[in-house]
Amino acid sequence: MKKSAIFGLVVIAIAIAVIISVYSNSSTYGSFDDALKTKSELHIVGHLNKSKELFYDATKDANYFSFYMKDNKGEERKVVFTGTKPEDFERSEQLVLTGTMVGNEFHAKKILMKCPSKYTQDKLEVTEATAKQASI
Amino acid sequence: MDTVFKGEHLLPGQIGQFFIVLSFGAALLSFLSYYFSTTEDAGKADSSWQRLGRIGFYINSLSILGMGVCLFYVIYNHYFEYHYAWAYTSRSLPVYYIVSGFWNGQEGGFLLWSFWQAVLGNILIWRAKSWERPVMTFVALSQVALGTMVLGVEIFGVRIGSSPFLLLRNALEGPIFSNPDYLSFIKDGQGMNPSLQNYWMIIHPPTLFLGFASMVVPFAYAMAGLWQKKYKEWVGPAIPYALFGCMILGTGVIMGSFWAYESLNFGGFWAWDPVENASIFPWITMVAAVHVLIVYKNTGHSYFTATFLVLISFVLVWYSSFLSRSGILGDTSVHSFTDNGMFWQLVIGVLLFLVLSVVPLVARWKEMPITKKDEETYSREFWMFVGAVFLGLSCFHLVVVTSVPVWNAMFKTKIAPPSDIVKHYNVIQSSFAFIVTLLTGVAQFLKYKKTDVTRFFITTGIYLLFAALVTALVVYATGVYKLNFVFVLVMWGSVYSVIANGKILSEAFKGQVKLAGSAVAHIGFGLLMVGALIAAGTSNIISINNTGEGFSPEFAKEQNPRENILVYQNQSVKMGDYLVTYTGDSISTPNIYFKVDYKKVNAAGKVENEFVLKPKALINRGQMSASPDTKHYLLHDMYTHITMFYPVPAALGGPDGGAAAHDEANDDKSYDAPVSHEVAPGDTIKYRDGYILLKSLNKEAKVQNIPLSDSDVAIGAKLEVVTHGKTYEATPVYMIKNGNVFDFARKVEDAGLKLRFSKVIPENKKVEIMVYQQPESKKKFIVMKAIQFPYINFFWSGTIIMVIGFFLSIRRRKKEVKVA
Repeated sequence: MKKSAIFGLVVIAIAIAVIISVYSNSSTYGSFDDALKTKSELHIVGHLNKSKELFYDATKDANYFSFYMKDNKGEERKVVFTGTKPEDFERSEQLVLTGTMVGNEFHAKKILMKCPSKYTQDKLEVTEATAKQASI
Repeated sequence: MDTVFKGEHLLPGQIGQFFIVLSFGAALLSFLSYYFSTTEDAGKADSSWQRLGRIGFYINSLSILGMGVCLFYVIYNHYFEYHYAWAYTSRSLPVYYIVSGFWNGQEGGFLLWSFWQAVLGNILIWRAKSWERPVMTFVALSQVALGTMVLGVEIFGVRIGSSPFLLLRNALEGPIFSNPDYLSFIKDGQGMNPSLQNYWMIIHPPTLFLGFASMVVPFAYAMAGLWQKKYKEWVGPAIPYALFGCMILGTGVIMGSFWAYESLNFGGFWAWDPVENASIFPWITMVAAVHVLIVYKNTGHSYFTATFLVLISFVLVWYSSFLSRSGILGDTSVHSFTDNGMFWQLVIGVLLFLVLSVVPLVARWKEMPITKKDEETYSREFWMFVGAVFLGLSCFHLVVVTSVPVWNAMFKTKIAPPSDIVKHYNVIQSSFAFIVTLLTGVAQFLKYKKTDVTRFFITTGIYLLFAALVTALVVYATGVYKLNFVFVLVMWGSVYSVIANGKILSEAFKGQVKLAGSAVAHIGFGLLMVGALIAAGTSNIISINNTGEGFSPEFAKEQNPRENILVYQNQSVKMGDYLVTYTGDSISTPNIYFKVDYKKVNAAGKVENEFVLKPKALINRGQMSASPDTKHYLLHDMYTHITMFYPVPAALGGPDGGAAAHDEANDDKSYDAPVSHEVAPGDTIKYRDGYILLKSLNKEAKVQNIPLSDSDVAIGAKLEVVTHGKTYEATPVYMIKNGNVFDFARKVEDAGLKLRFSKVIPENKKVEIMVYQQPESKKKFIVMKAIQFPYINFFWSGTIIMVIGFFLSIRRRKKEVKVA
């Protein structure tokens, strides 16, 4: 066998190994319900329940932040995050949590928020603009 | 139906839109003309098609400049009737950020990209000589593709591109747009995202886009070579451009990383965010391509690999722009844009160049100069080829993981990226980096074609051993050995690369100057890896605090590090080697700067080192956005950022603002119930955070704006407040005016105190001082995170050295082209 053929096979083997390792490492998107059934980490997509309390009191614990999120199936759970309240959290329109269920709480290791207003700020704040007009 | 809107400035937009259409048309003309000049006028020295192609390209370049001028005019004059100006800038934005507002939106990015491509095209028209016709065909085609992205024209009901001159009333829906006078309600734009208001955002995007744009030149040469069957000739002139692309794109990416480190709060210089990854795909493949191009040039081996890597680099530029602009990364990236309605157009862009690359490779497969003979095992070309393939594999892995949302969209799956994604990337990419860095040294000791094997093994062995010793020392001293073993291997590879290439560089000084470029670039890369490894691997969060109350038993059991710490004003907290104190803040609307004092105290109690960091927070519409501050030392950095603070000052729209502050009764509510003390001069009053000394009574106290007559009395109590090692002065005043008693309280904000001189007790020559203390929960505090990054300067200096290496190589390869 030619050396280049052997090398080619090695390359293909590594490429396959890469794909397998990515696939086996990959996590899944799920719901709180799925999270209850498994011990491994899950990604859960949902949105913040803005009517319930967002709790963060730095004087008591600077690394405890809790809130309520509804997942895409409509199930709501209390979520606890070890850290401070992320900037712009209230404005988030979608949350992606990574973590596990502990008892009845979901403990998030990572929170990824999407605030569409941050990048395409396509919300015209008419009320604010008119108020300014009146004061002139 | 047609409403006449008042106050709009439609002319600059109309001119701009005209330039957009003109530049698109001119690019199309240039592309077609260059195509025909290559096919119809082949062999003719004088071609009217070529002349037309040039004219088209000149018009295209000038229209792009025209577009830029119009857009700048709109932004600079705050014409908020234009969506672009409204969405990304505001009146309060300083002029230098107006420049960066220019490329804040997607349209500006495309404009910048096609601007650079136009510049490169003009250089090619000037320098490419016989290559001009076929090469410019592809550059012009790329300009056509970019032109469609900003077109903003509807054809058959489909909107093509998104124009930067879109009017606000066409971009948004809203009842106010039926009012002809709507503009008078729009006083200001949305303003720039605070995290982009940084000087790096002025320089980083143009550099990055020049890097992306320059990938088109080697692509065009490779395509021209296939098309014109000049398989060997295109390589020489393409190499300097490929090196240039690597140099600029690499610089741009690291600038972005420096920006993230200096002014974003993700606590590091690389986060493996999909958008970051996407920007290095083409860099990795082009670096690999440069190596095999040199192999092919010197030995005639690896033609297919070289061509493939050059072509795929350009396709990856388009793919990375698809990833970051189409909104597909919505669930995995914090940086990506949301969909602008151009999803399919971007897909078509990627597919166009992918198909365009595959077709000639297939069509010319049989003719390509693919060698039948194997390379020698102990030849430089073989190991350079292996290194390039491993670079390709590393890019392949990045593409596979970063594209998870793409696979989900294509195959309707629901795979999520690995949950500990950073670790996943670090470990796998380090394995590739180990091999690549080893090869950067090994291949340098080999010669093209054939090498003396024994001598090679001896030198390589010695250097590997020496590198292993150095690595052992470094790894032990920095604590890298505590990490995954693969990081130790990368350290070994990188140290070896630096040492081996150092040897090559020393030879370059002895006369073989040609070698300097690659040696310097490899040393830079090695140092960069060393710096990245130590800084990221052993960065030390010193603000760990486990003092939280613990809200639930489950939470208390969590092993997550508590990385944020609460620091009350003027109360020092021990963090790592430092005593950290939040000493105060200063406001410069809309920013608030926090003074955080770091003191290193040695065992003898002497202050060894003291510095003040001023991390800032920006308040924009009630939301906070924080920027870190970093103290740079030669061997480590001390990084600090604020994650929360209290209270928000009234000047920035905090709750203390407005009428409440003037209302005495309300004001007292923010303090605990007062405590009265009867004291004589010289007495001290103890309170929670220190003591207050009554120094003297001043019988001639004055209160501003209150004239006193002879019968009136005003006495000031000179008080000295000592708290947490600081001393403050305050003089509350007691006054009898026209028979009525007044007293004027004084506040010591920094100590959270309000002091009243409420009574004079003549019998025992004492006075009554009332002490109002802010409750613990009302005291000013910040919540911060402090990280120590050791040896991060290797990372930055490695980058600079690598760029110098690329620069030297460009000069060398340019000379070779002239000789040939």
